[in-house]
Amino acid sequence: MSASSLMSIGTRAMFANYAALQTTGHNIANASVDGYSRQQVQLQTANGQFSGAGFFGKGVDVQTVTRSFDQFLTREAVATRAQAAFDSTRLDKLSQLESLFAGGEQGLGFATGEFLNAMVDMASHPQDLAARQVVLGRAGELAARFSSASSQIDTIQTGVTMDLRSAVDRVNRIASDIASVNDRIAVARGSGHTPNDLLDLRDQLVSELGGYMEVTTIAADDGTLSVFVGGGQRLVLGAQSLKLDLSPDPYDATRMDLGIVETTGVRALPYSLIGSGSIGGLLRFQDDDLTTARNLIGRLASVVADGVNGQQALGLDLRVPPGSGAPLFGVSAPQALPASTNARTVGGNFVSTVGMTVTDATQLQASEYALAHNGTGWILTRLADGSAQTVVDGAIVDGFQIDLGTPAPALTDRFLLQPVARAAGGFRRVLDDPRGLAAASPVTADAGSANSGTASVGALRVVSPAVNPQNTATVTFTSGTGNYNWELRDRTTNALVSSGTGSWTAGQPIALNGFELDLAGVPASGDTFTVAKTLYPGSNNGNALALAGLRDALLVGRVDDGAGGLTGGLTFTDAWADAMSDIGVRAQGVKTSSEISTQVAAAAKEALSNRTGVNLDEEAARLMQYQQGYQAAAKVLQVAQSVFDTLLDAAGR
Amino acid sequence: MTRVSTAHSYESGIATLQQRQRELTDAQQQLTSGKRISRLSDDPAASARAERAIAAVQRAEADQRAIEASRSAITQVEAAYGDANDLMEQARELLVAAGNPSYGATERKGIADRLAGLRAQLLQIANRGDGAGGYLFGGQGIAQAPFVDAVGGVQFVAPAGTQQAASDELLPLTTDGQRAWLAARSGNGVFKTAATTSTGSAWIDAGRVTQPGLLTGSPYSVQFTVGGAGTTYTVLQNGNPTALTNVAYQSGQAIQIDGMSFTVTGAPANGDRFDITPSASDLSVFDTFDGIVAALGNTSASATQVAQTVADGLRDIDASAATLSSRRADAGSWLNRIDDVDTRVAGQKLRAQGEQSNAEDLDMVHAISDFQLQQTGYDAALRAYSMVQRLSLFDYLGG
Repeated sequence: MSASSLMSIGTRAMFANYAALQTTGHNIANASVDGYSRQQVQLQTANGQFSGAGFFGKGVDVQTVTRSFDQFLTREAVATRAQAAFDSTRLDKLSQLESLFAGGEQGLGFATGEFLNAMVDMASHPQDLAARQVVLGRAGELAARFSSASSQIDTIQTGVTMDLRSAVDRVNRIASDIASVNDRIAVARGSGHTPNDLLDLRDQLVSELGGYMEVTTIAADDGTLSVFVGGGQRLVLGAQSLKLDLSPDPYDATRMDLGIVETTGVRALPYSLIGSGSIGGLLRFQDDDLTTARNLIGRLASVVADGVNGQQALGLDLRVPPGSGAPLFGVSAPQALPASTNARTVGGNFVSTVGMTVTDATQLQASEYALAHNGTGWILTRLADGSAQTVVDGAIVDGFQIDLGTPAPALTDRFLLQPVARAAGGFRRVLDDPRGLAAASPVTADAGSANSGTASVGALRVVSPAVNPQNTATVTFTSGTGNYNWELRDRTTNALVSSGTGSWTAGQPIALNGFELDLAGVPASGDTFTVAKTLYPGSNNGNALALAGLRDALLVGRVDDGAGGLTGGLTFTDAWADAMSDIGVRAQGVKTSSEISTQVAAAAKEALSNRTGVNLDEEAARLMQYQQGYQAAAKVLQVAQSVFDTLLDAAGR
Repeated sequence: MTRVSTAHSYESGIATLQQRQRELTDAQQQLTSGKRISRLSDDPAASARAERAIAAVQRAEADQRAIEASRSAITQVEAAYGDANDLMEQARELLVAAGNPSYGATERKGIADRLAGLRAQLLQIANRGDGAGGYLFGGQGIAQAPFVDAVGGVQFVAPAGTQQAASDELLPLTTDGQRAWLAARSGNGVFKTAATTSTGSAWIDAGRVTQPGLLTGSPYSVQFTVGGAGTTYTVLQNGNPTALTNVAYQSGQAIQIDGMSFTVTGAPANGDRFDITPSASDLSVFDTFDGIVAALGNTSASATQVAQTVADGLRDIDASAATLSSRRADAGSWLNRIDDVDTRVAGQKLRAQGEQSNAEDLDMVHAISDFQLQQTGYDAALRAYSMVQRLSLFDYLGG
């Protein structure tokens, strides 16, 4: 037992306390650094030295510096952060989108209503050019709203693309940073101590990565951390990292697809695999919400244009001589987009194309369709609900006809069919002459002057362009129960064209020669009704009434009832209100889940932070503790020196 | 023991304050705009409801414009009928005056000229425009005047019927000129008497229905024979003899057959014949005037012919005037109906506006109370933050 042992104990104690003070200082210094974990010096009693009188302590050893760490809470914080980022990103984008579906006077629904209501004034004064000009003005306004809605969707898509691009750049940067930190940690681990600050840095990088996409991490024995994304694709393995790749969608180049670059090529990462994180949110928004919005607006545009143009074609305009109404609106045609991987000719063009024609706009659905061959036949999948059916060339589905073209597509070819997606973009008014509005009906109905029943002409609707005004139709009732004879005679020669009998029941129209005649009241036997050519189309408002009647027509989204008829269908107003609800409910749902996931993420972060973060009061107490420890150790040293001095003094005499 | 991370406590404190501030701003925005919903996602169902209500308001406004167009047209039609009735009244007075036995051919010619003037005015009324390029009596729409003064009388060339306004309930924009001007009941409304051959001084009145149950609807003719047995008459039904065969004639005595009664006055000549035919809805105002003007303008007319003209003319003018009056009453009832429809549409609009307000407007009392609660909450949060964050062990250590 030497005098130096006490000296040694004092020195070691001073060193240990100094080290603890230094670490406490480090903690205080980093108290506000995000992701910093509190560090602690691990002290250990040095092994005692045996002497004949037993074991004597040799003081204290500084074993290592550890950091407060909780693997479960760290993972939890990353996962909840990913979910919160997913929700808040989608909410941001949906907030932009929902303003497009706003109601009120700025909305599309209001413009549609104003346009159709202007028909009322044209019906009141069919010969008044001012009323017609108002209709054209409202039509122009409606067209502007549709195309502006479409271009705003394009703008939102551009924003999504830019956000995706910067997010992918950042993810690639983070991935390579994690790889290099992995490398440094592996080297540092050789020293036998944990490189706490590097571990903090890596945790922080992983957490940031989690904000972009859902990640899974697996720690390796050498201290490196492997990061997996998109349901098991490795992004970082040890010191190696892969890159994410953002490329245009193979069908629709305005959309972006995410992939991961592997040695064998780019592997696609659809949003269903990305899961959460802001990239997941952006892709989900792009592929689901924005596509739905585009289809909803596009379908409304298609149906409005088709309905108005169809009715316009059934009437007579104010030109001299009067002709059938020319189309009032134009929309972009449906398009079938070939996958960029489809078979091509030597010149680089696609070998085969698929054509689409709208056969009945009222049956169009707000969806896109995938067309692919499954080995036995072409399968058309409606992407909105996933319902699939086998189709052949010329098949008519949901109001459009598919033309598989010549040459027929290769069995490996794939197509994305967009019946309505682009319709709003090309929506424009194509009629500029107020005289071109077809306010007049080509035929007028009149009850015989000698009729004795209570029936009068309720409404006369022209339902087919095949109506021939040259033929005058006469309906003569032969009984009080609705039996009638009808005949069509040429109005100039009075020659009989055709005739027949029929039976009228209340509420059912009498359909002849391309028109439908509704009777109000009950006809008596011998009563006659004639439907003849309109003599003065300039003053007739029959078709203007029909155009105004489009307000109540159930034209949007009718479906085949399986019995040859059509069922369902909404008015323009209801269809728009439904579209508003659809987008509004999405935004509302995401808002709620965003509030929840943000709170969950905050709670997880709080739990982690409370476990691993720095409490300044605690550090203040520790500071006192170690300062006193240091002072006590210094005292030990002083005593040791004084003991030594005493020994020297005694020896020196 | 739960530790608290200092940095995080600052961070979460600030986050909470910001959250409170955001809520306060939202509440303030709601109070300022008066709207509960500023974004679609605030309440999608209410937004959709408000949108439907807005469409209903729009629709009601369009309906009101259509109703106004109909009201304007029918008001003008009603006024036209009123003007026409005044003219018919004048015509009647003139015609009564023309029957004055002391009037000579010249006076009658003067009256005929004035009647011709009235006829021209009536034609103008019938062809009156609606001020927007259409015609009040234009039927289902015509680009020119609907009544044409053609050879053989005034013709209605527009399509019969009425034009409808684009309102939810069918309202007329025009009236059917045919029914108003050219389709009065001829005769006395049931049958029409006419002097087919009258070489004597006899004339026949318009007749009346005495027993409606006995009416047959067949044409009758009364044939006079003047011979040794004095003046007798025979009534034929469809050319076949009836019970009244060779009945002694007495001037002014009513002849009654099958529920009808008519009087022949004066001295008929041998072979004179009066026809009684069922009424039809084909009496034209203008034809009536044309007949009267021609007859009164005939300077060589006998007193009998004048008497017959006046009797027939009064009958026809009364029938036409009655038709115009009833059409006027019809127009009046349309105006009432238009008012009713207008009231209903205004009610619908009000309900829709109420619906819109219910869906998206703010309950002010509730909102102000909420706002004050949030204000108090924010104030308390700020105080708590400032007090808690001021505490630090370092403040109490040595120094």
